[in-house]
Amino acid sequence: MSEPEKRKSLFQRHENLRVLAIFIGFVAAIVLLQLITNGTNRFPTFISPVNLLNILQQVGVPGIVAVGMTMVMISGGIDLSVGMLASLVSIVTASGISKWNLGLWPSIMLGIMTAVLLESIMGYIISRTKVEPFIITLGGMITFQGIALLLCNSREVIMKGELNFLKTNLIQGAKDPFNHLNLIIPPYVLIFFLIALLGGLLLSYTKYGRRVYAVGTNPEAAYLAGINVQNMKLSVYIIMGFLVGIGAVMLLARVNTGIITLGQGLEIDAIAMVVIGGTALKGGKGNIVGTLIGIFFLGSIGNAMNMLRLPSEVQFVAKGLVVIIAVSAGDVSTRISGFIQRRKELRWRAEQRATKGESVESTK
Amino acid sequence: MSEILQLRNISKTFPGVRALQNISFDLNEGEVHCLCGENGAGKSTLIKILSGAYQPDEGGEIIFDGANVVLNPRLAMKMGIQTIYQEHVIFETLNIVENIFTGSEIANRGILQKNEMRKQTVQALRYLKSDLSPDMKMSELSSGQQKIVEIAKGLIFKRRVIILDEPTASFSSVEIDNLLDIIQTVKESGLGIIYISHHLEEVFKVGDRVTVLRDGRKVSTYSLNGLTKTTLIKDMVGRDPSTFYRREKVPIGETVFEARNVTGNGAIDISFVLRRGEILGIGGMAGSGRSELMNVLFGSAPLDSGEILVHGKIIKRPSPRTCIKQRMCFITEDRQHTGLFLPQSIARNVTVANLVNTKRFVVREADDGRIGNKFVQLLNIRPSNARARVENLSGGNQQKVVLAKWFNTNGEIFIFDEPTWGIDVGAKQEIYKVMVNLLKEGKAIIMVSSDMPEIISMSDRVIIMKNGQKMAELTGEDISEENILTYSIGHREI
Repeated sequence: MSEPEKRKSLFQRHENLRVLAIFIGFVAAIVLLQLITNGTNRFPTFISPVNLLNILQQVGVPGIVAVGMTMVMISGGIDLSVGMLASLVSIVTASGISKWNLGLWPSIMLGIMTAVLLESIMGYIISRTKVEPFIITLGGMITFQGIALLLCNSREVIMKGELNFLKTNLIQGAKDPFNHLNLIIPPYVLIFFLIALLGGLLLSYTKYGRRVYAVGTNPEAAYLAGINVQNMKLSVYIIMGFLVGIGAVMLLARVNTGIITLGQGLEIDAIAMVVIGGTALKGGKGNIVGTLIGIFFLGSIGNAMNMLRLPSEVQFVAKGLVVIIAVSAGDVSTRISGFIQRRKELRWRAEQRATKGESVESTK
Repeated sequence: MSEILQLRNISKTFPGVRALQNISFDLNEGEVHCLCGENGAGKSTLIKILSGAYQPDEGGEIIFDGANVVLNPRLAMKMGIQTIYQEHVIFETLNIVENIFTGSEIANRGILQKNEMRKQTVQALRYLKSDLSPDMKMSELSSGQQKIVEIAKGLIFKRRVIILDEPTASFSSVEIDNLLDIIQTVKESGLGIIYISHHLEEVFKVGDRVTVLRDGRKVSTYSLNGLTKTTLIKDMVGRDPSTFYRREKVPIGETVFEARNVTGNGAIDISFVLRRGEILGIGGMAGSGRSELMNVLFGSAPLDSGEILVHGKIIKRPSPRTCIKQRMCFITEDRQHTGLFLPQSIARNVTVANLVNTKRFVVREADDGRIGNKFVQLLNIRPSNARARVENLSGGNQQKVVLAKWFNTNGEIFIFDEPTWGIDVGAKQEIYKVMVNLLKEGKAIIMVSSDMPEIISMSDRVIIMKNGQKMAELTGEDISEENILTYSIGHREI
């Protein structure tokens, strides 16, 4: 007789299923809303090509940062500084273009290199000391804000649309078949998808990815397996810096102005997307597919609430609740399955006793 | 002298193991009663029963102050039985007074009586002739001083029985003398003390009586007056032959590994050679510096001086990375913390160490699955599914995953630190077979083990360590329980 097989809840066996289930439930609610309100014509259609593309534009930049954040968090770290770093990069790039006359591409490179350098410094400290990444990047966030304000004398840096090529419409002239609005896909949406794809491949199919997971799961065992734990930790922050740099340039292209508020809340959005996507704060767990779901989920919520004309105050409450519900759902399902498992085991033991009788002594 | 505590016919059975069998034991007021025995003799189980952590099997009796009691941890504490474990629970950031009184604060209507608590602490420390200041933080104290605080706590709460489990494990010799003096003082105040130690010198210095356990049974109880060490050691050895494993011998080849005057991480001036086809056992008591030495050999702890040679070539600046490239493997003692990636699949765990040797940047899930499944079948891992998560496996199967991880690196010098710790008898035999197969393939093994039958039946040679030093190297007939124990316990001067 063998012990009853340990069954896990469906949600646990397929990590992304949990997130997907929440997402599907959410879409169902939207569809329902849409059907109910269809007659009044007060609400624009949520599920329409124009709106879906709209969501993509909204999530593109936080999405790029969330890909980097996924890697950082899988390796067991976190980065609170990305928002302020993005603001700093936008101010550096905008200044390079319109104040220091460095030219377009050198300015962009300067912005991105700034992000990479600053993240490398934080990554170096995090990987060589035992200080919590939370603290180091919190310090980084405050420092970057200061540097950014110093650079721009607390003013905004206005450009003349030099980065407009990043928001040209790639499908000029295409119309939504339902409401005949213009469809827009700017290049940065494609860049977001490209980065998500590369990030996903890197994590799942390369030696590097394996090591990131190993370091996040058990740094000591990783060290004894010959992995250079310090350099692995450093490397994820360098990647993060590169992605924040790219994301910040995209943001700058959208608003045409380097300003301190540009990256505000970016770290909150990115971390929320990553945790909704099933990445564990303690590292070692998660993947890009989950993060993508998290990205679209959070993006859709913001979008839907805009369409329902809910004030932004309410939107914050709703977003916050979604993060809490999404992350606790996993734990609740674990508990339920654990409870069922324990009852099964008890019943199995009772049956064992009944069949074997109490007299059986263990051997030796 | 009146009796405080008496155990009658205490047995304890775990699934598949009889840990204790009909133990009788008693403790008087003002007495130090020592407990001796090899690793696995049942000392820890007995302590856990006394502290209420385990319930004994039916049929035994625990008599405390003449009354029959059923102990649980709370009740044991209330009746005045205090256990001071090897690894004690302390609040590092709190001071001595706060540590003593946390959980049992003296308060008047919710307001802490700090002066009163401090006064009692000072009194107790003075009684123990200790010069510790009650305001010192626990983190500033050495482990010897922390033990003194625990004993002071016992005095303050008027405990009747104090159990000390290997109290001197990480002590300097001055600290040992100091602690033994304190135990004498405490004893005179009428407490009963149960003292567990590997170090016979300590037992002889501080004890009044000694009880020897072996294989879960009580062998003897002596008064320490006029007793000789030889008598004690004789009682501790002499295991049941059925606990020994018959190992196939393999022809021994050339030297593959050598340590020359290796010093670092607590190991002092260790030299030895390791040859193909042999198992070099490393014996000694817990805390004798064996695991520390293994970490130095594998490059995961600093090598202060000396040389490590693989195939006659010196490894410069050893690190786990360079050692794996030299085809060394390290099966650590604590597989869950340092060997495995618990939330990940068997396949991922098996392939992770070989990442050092793979040239390709792209790895394929399918390859991992294939390698995982190969080892699942080769080592008979259950469940036989390479995608199963390691955290759901039993101890024995987890250990096999660790082995598979190293087999996959194609290693040839294996360091096993407690290879069968915490796994059941059946899985033990399988792991022994795997080790012998490694030898047949011309590989070499260094095996740290505290399991006496294991080290005797598996090793071709045995090195005994004590206090970080090599005490002896035994071969052939000399590998006996008595020799190993004698050298492990050593003859430290007091």
